[in-house]
Amino acid sequence: MIPETSVKSRIKPGNSSIKQLLWLGLAAGVFFIFLALILNWASSNSDSTQSSEGVDITANSISLALDQEPPQLDSTRTSDAISGIILGHVMEGLLRFDKNKQLAPAVAERWEITPTGATFWLRNDARWSDGTQVTAHDFIFAWKKVLNPATASQYAFFLYPLKNAEAINSQNLSAEALGARALDDLTIEIEFEKPISYFDKLVAFTTFFPMQESFYNKTQGRYGADADTILYNGPFIISEWVHSAKLLMEKNPHYWNNDSIKLNAINWSYITADTTAKLNLFKDKRTAFVQLDAETLESALNNRWTINQFSDGTIFYIEFNHRDERITRNYHLRRAMQLVNNSNELVYKVIKLPGNIPGVSLFPGWLQGEHQLFRQEYPPPAHNIDIENAKHHLELARKELGLEEFPALVMLTSDSPTARKQSEYYQNLFKRTLGLNIKIDLQIFKQRLAKMLSGDFDLVMGGWGPDYQDPLTFGDLFASWNIQNRGRYNNPALDKSVRIAQNSLEPPIRMKAFADIQDILYNDAVIIPNYERGRIYVLDPRVKGLVRRIIGADPDFSRAYLVQEPAGDD
Amino acid sequence: MFSLYLVVFLLAFTVLGPFIWTIDPAYQDLDQISQPPNIDRKAVLIAPYPVWDGTASHAATAMYGEQQSASPLQLAQIANTESVRLLWDNIPDAYGYRLYRNIFPTEKGQALGLPLFTSYDLNIKRFEDLLDLTPRTFYYTLVGLDKDGTELPAPFTLKVKVARVLTIAQAIEKGLIDASDKPQIGSIVYLTLHPMGTDYLGRDMLARLMYGARVSLFIGIFAPLIFVSVGILYGSTAGFIGGQVDQFLMRFSDFVVALPFLLFMILFKITFGIGPGESGVIPMLIAMILLSWPATARLVRGQILQIREEGYIAASRLLGAKSHYLVIRHMIPNIMGVILVTMTFAVPSAIFTEAFLSFIGMGVAPPTPSWGSMCYEGIKTMLTHPHELVFPAILISITVLAFNLLGDGLRDALDAKMRSKE
Repeated sequence: MIPETSVKSRIKPGNSSIKQLLWLGLAAGVFFIFLALILNWASSNSDSTQSSEGVDITANSISLALDQEPPQLDSTRTSDAISGIILGHVMEGLLRFDKNKQLAPAVAERWEITPTGATFWLRNDARWSDGTQVTAHDFIFAWKKVLNPATASQYAFFLYPLKNAEAINSQNLSAEALGARALDDLTIEIEFEKPISYFDKLVAFTTFFPMQESFYNKTQGRYGADADTILYNGPFIISEWVHSAKLLMEKNPHYWNNDSIKLNAINWSYITADTTAKLNLFKDKRTAFVQLDAETLESALNNRWTINQFSDGTIFYIEFNHRDERITRNYHLRRAMQLVNNSNELVYKVIKLPGNIPGVSLFPGWLQGEHQLFRQEYPPPAHNIDIENAKHHLELARKELGLEEFPALVMLTSDSPTARKQSEYYQNLFKRTLGLNIKIDLQIFKQRLAKMLSGDFDLVMGGWGPDYQDPLTFGDLFASWNIQNRGRYNNPALDKSVRIAQNSLEPPIRMKAFADIQDILYNDAVIIPNYERGRIYVLDPRVKGLVRRIIGADPDFSRAYLVQEPAGDD
Repeated sequence: MFSLYLVVFLLAFTVLGPFIWTIDPAYQDLDQISQPPNIDRKAVLIAPYPVWDGTASHAATAMYGEQQSASPLQLAQIANTESVRLLWDNIPDAYGYRLYRNIFPTEKGQALGLPLFTSYDLNIKRFEDLLDLTPRTFYYTLVGLDKDGTELPAPFTLKVKVARVLTIAQAIEKGLIDASDKPQIGSIVYLTLHPMGTDYLGRDMLARLMYGARVSLFIGIFAPLIFVSVGILYGSTAGFIGGQVDQFLMRFSDFVVALPFLLFMILFKITFGIGPGESGVIPMLIAMILLSWPATARLVRGQILQIREEGYIAASRLLGAKSHYLVIRHMIPNIMGVILVTMTFAVPSAIFTEAFLSFIGMGVAPPTPSWGSMCYEGIKTMLTHPHELVFPAILISITVLAFNLLGDGLRDALDAKMRSKE
């Protein structure tokens, strides 16, 4: 039974209820302060097992945050940049790029390339992480596995310069016919399908990494899924991989060039795409490195950190789906969307990151042409924003497709903050200027790759990082046979230019072919270029020797070393 | 009473608000991205901007640049939000140049700010900055680089005040002036007013909060209304009939209590064919209704069981009252207090659920705003633009508090036993 008095006090109107509110508010405030104190005390008492320092001088290790979880780490199947970073630290191919971005010997001690083939002589002391020798057979096994149609490697085309590789990959020939042989344990002889000018640069790439056959068979199809189902031959090994949480690397005791490796451990202690979280981790000195975006940039300035800039050579663009059942197959619809695109506004007002360059072409500005930069020799077609003309094309598209109204288009994008912002910007742009409805399909990295591959989209925010230093790394993206051509664009004229660029050894002919590809991509509205990515990052001043590069694993901490804190700086 | 006013105010805010404040919540005002409230909105009209040929206009440095003595770094033209054009002279011993921008003056030995431009081509001695120019003061710093890219000592800093400008074409496109007004170059226009600031794409916060309230309050009011009704029907049936039926019905409700909400939310989203980029509000509503009624049902059943055995019910029966008369005349009025209180307490929990689901990305699809999704977006810029998080968070708190207080008040006002004692 509630006593009479208390009932009255509860239903008293006016002043007392406000007074009561104030008391409650005060009590809540005190409670929160206590909670904060208790949590603070609890957190300071925890984590003692693993070093939580971004830079741990005594343990000679660094901690870092990884953007995404790598889908898997099987070098013959991988196709994404995150796996590329990890594999670049734990594996090594025949050749590698050194800190000056020049080719350097790795597993191969020396090599020789002729117009008809190549020979690699492997070093005697290269070892797998279980102590066995890295032999020529390991390379041949890996390459045959890449080309095996059952592997369904997205990067199989990388091996096409090898004789018969393309035929093996399309099931026309048995793997025995491959133009690469192990003469003995330490010599690989390669026969080319046709003369190729940049083969040595390809060999440093992930797809050419070796794989030990006996170990692979032991993993029973789980190779690359966990830390203990991979055999490493690079400077580091993965000591622990907790999926979606952390990935810890330790120095590989069996690595042949162990003296060049200074760090004892690289701990990718955090896996998150949240830039604010990553900034806070850096601020608390729990990581040694952070890439910034427009939101975190200002706090970095206010903290007076030294900000570094780097262009990673990646180009971002909107890709259309050209499959039969999609309305984006219609040229006029694509053209209309292309005509309203304003890359300048996107880069300078929406993304707001310095170093990003507004996109104008599939070929980024840094690519070398014949004598000068490629884009200086062959400037891309001029792009003028023309909303009236866009509406005209949209009307044509509507008539051709026989539609009363356009259905909503699905735009596939990743869930990173920049991609999210960018997709909302385009959603609004197409709605405002053309009246098109866009549905945004935010997906995590792995899922987005799967959906891109299966063609489950109308438009996709895509991007491409170069794999080797030749315009062809971008040029063949939209060839009809390329599996990376997610929208299944099929144009014989473009295919012809790609074949010319692949087969010719004459730079003027090749560059002309690339220029033709550039024109076709614009005139047929195959893609809408967004931007060429620039990276802004902050590095702990005690870490030296970080290598950032356009081609290959980036960022590369494998040769990093630590110095004591610079004097006079707190 | 205070709480009732608050609830009425919130309803008016979302229903009538958009009629008074008619800005489209999806409209992106790219000149005012992430603006806090109460900003200076003055802009000067200028002529269309030609591409820069690299020459300087002399008025520029005189008017806006405050130069260090003998600094090689100069403004080429008056700095404005369309572009800042910089020119510089040779730096002795330099093999290249790097240009930084900062938002506060740097002292010796400190980091110079944001690297905008690096070049090893000594012939390039100009730079046009277009990046995220807002009306504020910037500090540009030029340093020379030596052969291996190390920065030379003695950087040169230039303080630049950036004025907000709009070209006439832009102003007409944004509807700030009429083409028939014959706008004059140099006249002043005011940008669109955003009383609560803008979000990360320049969308009006006030309009988004109003539209966001629709989703939040829709879920917050409809879901409890429906599941409480279902619960009353179910509970009173079970309680009134009793026996085997009661046992069966109550065990079934126990079964429903054990079902996990989030899992069902995801399952519903799939079975309803809610594709990517579509709003998940309807499956959210259905999942809530299907899984939340047992609590009310149990409460009502307990009450009915108790009332059924009361003396006045027996008396009424003896006088020949039929079942439906008993339920409508005696039982429902007696449990009304309990029902209303359950309902007002269910409202804030439903609003919370919506906010939480939108926060983890299971609720509304962009660009539709909801308070939960606005919080989610705002939290990324919490440190630099706190208003994007604070406003929706405050509104969620106020709403939840208001309904809780209302529930409290209703319980006191409607409790039949208390009334009889007064």
